[in-house]
Amino acid sequence: MKKVLALILACMLLVGCMSFASAEGEKVKLVVWSFTNELQTMIEKYYLPNHPELEIQFQIYPTDGHAYQDKVDGLLGSNATSEEAPDIFTLEAAFVKHYVEMDWTGDLKDIGFTDEELSVAFPVMAQIGQNSAGVQKGLSWQSTPGALMYRASLAEKYLGVKTPEEMQEKVKDWDTFLETAEALKTASEGACKMVVGSGDIWNAYQYQRSAGWVVDGKLNIDDELLDFEELCKTLEQDDLTHKGGAWSEVWFAGMRGEIETLCYFLPTWGLHYTLKPHCAEGWNDKLSDEDNLAALGENIGTYGDWRMVDGPVAYSWGGTWMGINAAKAATADDAKKAAMHDLIYFFTLNDEFLTQYAADSGDFVGSAKAVETILANGGTPNPFLGGQDHYAIFASAAALANGSLMSEYDADINDLWDKFVTTPYTKGEKDLDACLADFKEQVAATITTITVE
Amino acid sequence: MQAAAGKKHKSVSYSHWGYIFIAPFFITFLIFQLYPIFFTFRTSVTDAVGWQKILNNNIIGFENFRQLFDSNSLVSGMFWGALWNTIIIWFFNFVPQLGLALILASWFTDTRLRLRGQGFFKVTIFMPNIITAATIGMLFMSFFAYPIGPVNTLIQTLGLSNMPIEYFRSTAWSRGLISFIQWWMWCGNTMIIMIAGISGINPSLFEAALVDGCSSRQTFWKITLPLIKPILVYNLTTSLVGGLTMFDIPHMMTQGQPNNTTNTVARFIYMQGFTGSNNFNMASAASVVLFGIIIVGSLLIRYILNDHDPKPAVRHRDANKKEVAVK
Repeated sequence: MKKVLALILACMLLVGCMSFASAEGEKVKLVVWSFTNELQTMIEKYYLPNHPELEIQFQIYPTDGHAYQDKVDGLLGSNATSEEAPDIFTLEAAFVKHYVEMDWTGDLKDIGFTDEELSVAFPVMAQIGQNSAGVQKGLSWQSTPGALMYRASLAEKYLGVKTPEEMQEKVKDWDTFLETAEALKTASEGACKMVVGSGDIWNAYQYQRSAGWVVDGKLNIDDELLDFEELCKTLEQDDLTHKGGAWSEVWFAGMRGEIETLCYFLPTWGLHYTLKPHCAEGWNDKLSDEDNLAALGENIGTYGDWRMVDGPVAYSWGGTWMGINAAKAATADDAKKAAMHDLIYFFTLNDEFLTQYAADSGDFVGSAKAVETILANGGTPNPFLGGQDHYAIFASAAALANGSLMSEYDADINDLWDKFVTTPYTKGEKDLDACLADFKEQVAATITTITVE
Repeated sequence: MQAAAGKKHKSVSYSHWGYIFIAPFFITFLIFQLYPIFFTFRTSVTDAVGWQKILNNNIIGFENFRQLFDSNSLVSGMFWGALWNTIIIWFFNFVPQLGLALILASWFTDTRLRLRGQGFFKVTIFMPNIITAATIGMLFMSFFAYPIGPVNTLIQTLGLSNMPIEYFRSTAWSRGLISFIQWWMWCGNTMIIMIAGISGINPSLFEAALVDGCSSRQTFWKITLPLIKPILVYNLTTSLVGGLTMFDIPHMMTQGQPNNTTNTVARFIYMQGFTGSNNFNMASAASVVLFGIIIVGSLLIRYILNDHDPKPAVRHRDANKKEVAVK
């Protein structure tokens, strides 16, 4: 009995000491919201060990549908300064523009970012993180430039193309792209298609525009978009695609080589997390490439058969931005502001860390300076691409892509454009004028804050 | 005297506990149901467009309702179109659903048939109702995928078609599939309710009918159906509410496509409120109109199916009895 009592007392004493100790060290507390655990993992692995003064409370809400946005909207709209409201929250490409246009997100310069610091970010990613007045409100730790991936064996068999340089000539612009698609059909007698579906080229083609969807508060339908419709219609009607959508069964079948598809438009993450895991039946993305190849034996699918070229246009697809809660930043003391600045700076612009992180993960990072360093150190020859260096090609797209085309309503307008123009028009259900009229009507009814003429 | 006071005290204390026990429901109801309903009514007469105006908005009167009822405005076409889609989809789901549920329920409760393996069939028929609608939507979406998908592969293998069919670009297929899924999911549920309704009928009535030599069909039409009317009213009303607020299957599977012909009212409200410029005012106004339509619909069902006048109802029942007796 006495022993038990002693033990209890000892425990109480210990707990007392511990709580006293933690009260002594003045910790800076940050609340960080995200939609995946990616940032949390990165912070816990690379940042917290060197920053004992920091206490971070993570909150993760998945982006299923609108779930994450609903949580953010709900709290920032009603009680932005509350304890559980985020100091820093992450924003996905689909909705980053929406939030940087609002007053809820703060100017990064308010927490101590300088123009000099910001200048090393890739322009396309920085532009997307700015509001229409040019205020920098978000920074991305990844940069997500896109490229055109093609299968070397099919290109050689049907088009006689031997090097990526020759391939680039065949897809240097959209007219040549279409000619190549026709030539491919003739040479393969219809077996091999240029792309899986006409929707596949949208993510790249939208960067061909000279202006975005909204110009001076008005809906703007760029002339390039009408050319896009003609291209898609020809691809569809001349049977130059497999007529499948992105993420469909056909799309993945083409990646495994079960059906012959020459080209995919994919960004950085698409190469590592979409194309590679689907290059062969039974690929286990938890294992390393070597282990996978050993396990698969003969049936390595299309591994090593892929090559990369710039394609017709430099584009970007995706990204995750870090933004700050303006209401909480306004009331934060200097120590907290500095902590927020340091955290965001470390993951988005810190040269040393990003070089290290790129080497660890293979991700394409957000700082142009870090990418330069990596290329100068010999780049990243990739056996999946037959030894080609994906960093070099992505770097050129990242430098060229035009981020100023993005607007806050892009996700919704793109969706309406696909449903009411691209799909019915390319399938020959309606003529273009009828489609455009439908589209304008839908935009006007859903987005009442812009003018539609 | 003292004892009496003690008793009184005891009884007061009991009712006090009763209120406490039902309080959680009422508190939750007030916060999560009644308040949002009032909030919706209020938002419907404001200019609340976008999250930043959800709390700070101005009352602008019935402008939003005017737009919904003005045939020249953009949203009215979309709203009434969506209502029409919803009614078509609901009708083709509900009529077969009620028909089959009634037949199954009368078979399962028929003492003359004595079906074997009833438990198994009831569970199997009820099963789809347990699965989340969103999951079923995704399931059917992959079943009917184009150009490669299980159903397309099947029809091509069987030689029914030499080309894959693009189901979700056809209005008839898209609406039909949604109706089918709703039917398949809710048939078991309706059947269970009908079985419960039929089991509640006094068995002596069936015995009397049997003795008097009624055929199964006569028993069903003359005894079962009139006596389960209250259950029918309940079922029709819940189905009407569920049908008019249909959202998940069309949203997951067709996203209103093709050309908005499977866009339901609930989906219209969602698109107004949670996409584009977040037109909460219009979404609320449409919700209020839908609320009104549902109330009118429910009252209509009650009026048509219930015995509205108590006096003839008694005579009616007597007439029924007589009829049975005569036969």
